[in-house]
Amino acid sequence: MRQALIKKAKLLEKIRAFFDHKNVLEVQTSHLLNTPTTDVYIDSIGMSVNSEIQRQSKFLHTSPELEMKKLLSQGSGDIFQICQVFRDNEQGSQNFNEFTLLEYYRLNFDHHQLMGNVAELVKVLGVGGEVTKLSYAHAFERFAGIDILNTDFDALKVIAKVHDLSADFEWIEDLQIFLFTALCEPKLTQFPICFIYDYPAGQSALSKVKGCIAHRFELYLSGVEVANGYDELQDAQAYRQIFNRENDKRQQLNKTVISLDTDFLTQLEKPLPQCSGVAIGIERLIASID
Amino acid sequence: MLDGNPCSIISNEIRKPGKGQASNKVKFKDLITGKTLEKTFKSGESLEGADVMELDMQYLYNDGNEWNFMDPNTFDQFTINDSNMDDVRGYLVEQDMCVVTLWNNNPISVTPPNHVLLEVVDTDPGLKGDTAGTGGKPATMNTGVVVQVPLFIGIGEKVKVDTRTNEYAGRT
Repeated sequence: MRQALIKKAKLLEKIRAFFDHKNVLEVQTSHLLNTPTTDVYIDSIGMSVNSEIQRQSKFLHTSPELEMKKLLSQGSGDIFQICQVFRDNEQGSQNFNEFTLLEYYRLNFDHHQLMGNVAELVKVLGVGGEVTKLSYAHAFERFAGIDILNTDFDALKVIAKVHDLSADFEWIEDLQIFLFTALCEPKLTQFPICFIYDYPAGQSALSKVKGCIAHRFELYLSGVEVANGYDELQDAQAYRQIFNRENDKRQQLNKTVISLDTDFLTQLEKPLPQCSGVAIGIERLIASID
Repeated sequence: MLDGNPCSIISNEIRKPGKGQASNKVKFKDLITGKTLEKTFKSGESLEGADVMELDMQYLYNDGNEWNFMDPNTFDQFTINDSNMDDVRGYLVEQDMCVVTLWNNNPISVTPPNHVLLEVVDTDPGLKGDTAGTGGKPATMNTGVVVQVPLFIGIGEKVKVDTRTNEYAGRT
């Protein structure tokens, strides 16, 4: 018991030393938000507060992303945060309603520079082994023989059926993600530290899109996804578009449509500086350190 | 039912990507071939249920080719081919109750009780004064299965064996 506490405490200490050395400032942002996340497949935990004054709905943050981006737009410079985050409707041995997230942003970094920085961090923290970088398209080609960027939805459904997998999806990006999980992820266990980067534009989330490629990456440690990073979108208009697109999907799936976070969008009238950011799951990271 | 065979689910692991919909990695055992397989399903996907029944039955005897079981309620008898008895052969004692899985009324597998009483038929001589927990030695049971037992156990003694782990679980 105490051993596990010491392991986590030492890890957090090393993370803070790593960022201190690089002049990245530790920040804390509010965990209790007025607006839930619009992410289609992440659910915020809601609650009601101030019942004896004036009842109000609040939501526990699912990630500190938007709050930290407000700071970035105000000129905070490089920042990091270590905090608990909360998500509803999670279960299983790898998914929890509450977990610890390290989220950080580096100014003037693109996603490749940030991958280099994350590799350096996980090595400092004691994750051993070679670093492998595979583009999403290359991983699909190598592990499943699929030309993912040039295969349309119908053709991909046929491929799913050939592999005896479900093809019942609303959107091509969901089927791509499903096939990656089913066909590629099992092969990633052979790589101690593996970055998958440059996703199809439909999976851009909050990252920049150039042509048909979204500038984002995920980090897998021996096959377990531990981090998700973006070359971040910068202006309010781009965010508004994404939020609206996610709400459209929510509506089609009969999920709650989220009223836009006007606070955030107003703040971003002053756009973010060029930066890349990443979220790292601390418990999963600890599990991959001896 | 998967690929026409009834299967039992061993584990069901939810995989939720940082972005995107959850899926389930299911490990299952094909009850006909006995093979363990893994498959990824979209969360919420449904499969045809198998007409599989588990019944408590008494193990009667085996004639080398077939193993015979009886449903004590109906006195119906069922036989299972010796080749399907791989893992459980060493744990079945005549007259013991066990669970027989029927698929479309044909027996396809047998699960022995968690603990069975077996007799030691061969092992190295025991050591006097030794107590449990200081190592062990292999012992062959009357059913043919070999179990690691404490040093003080001798030939002819009856021991309790955990059939799930093939471990010694005490003396009677």
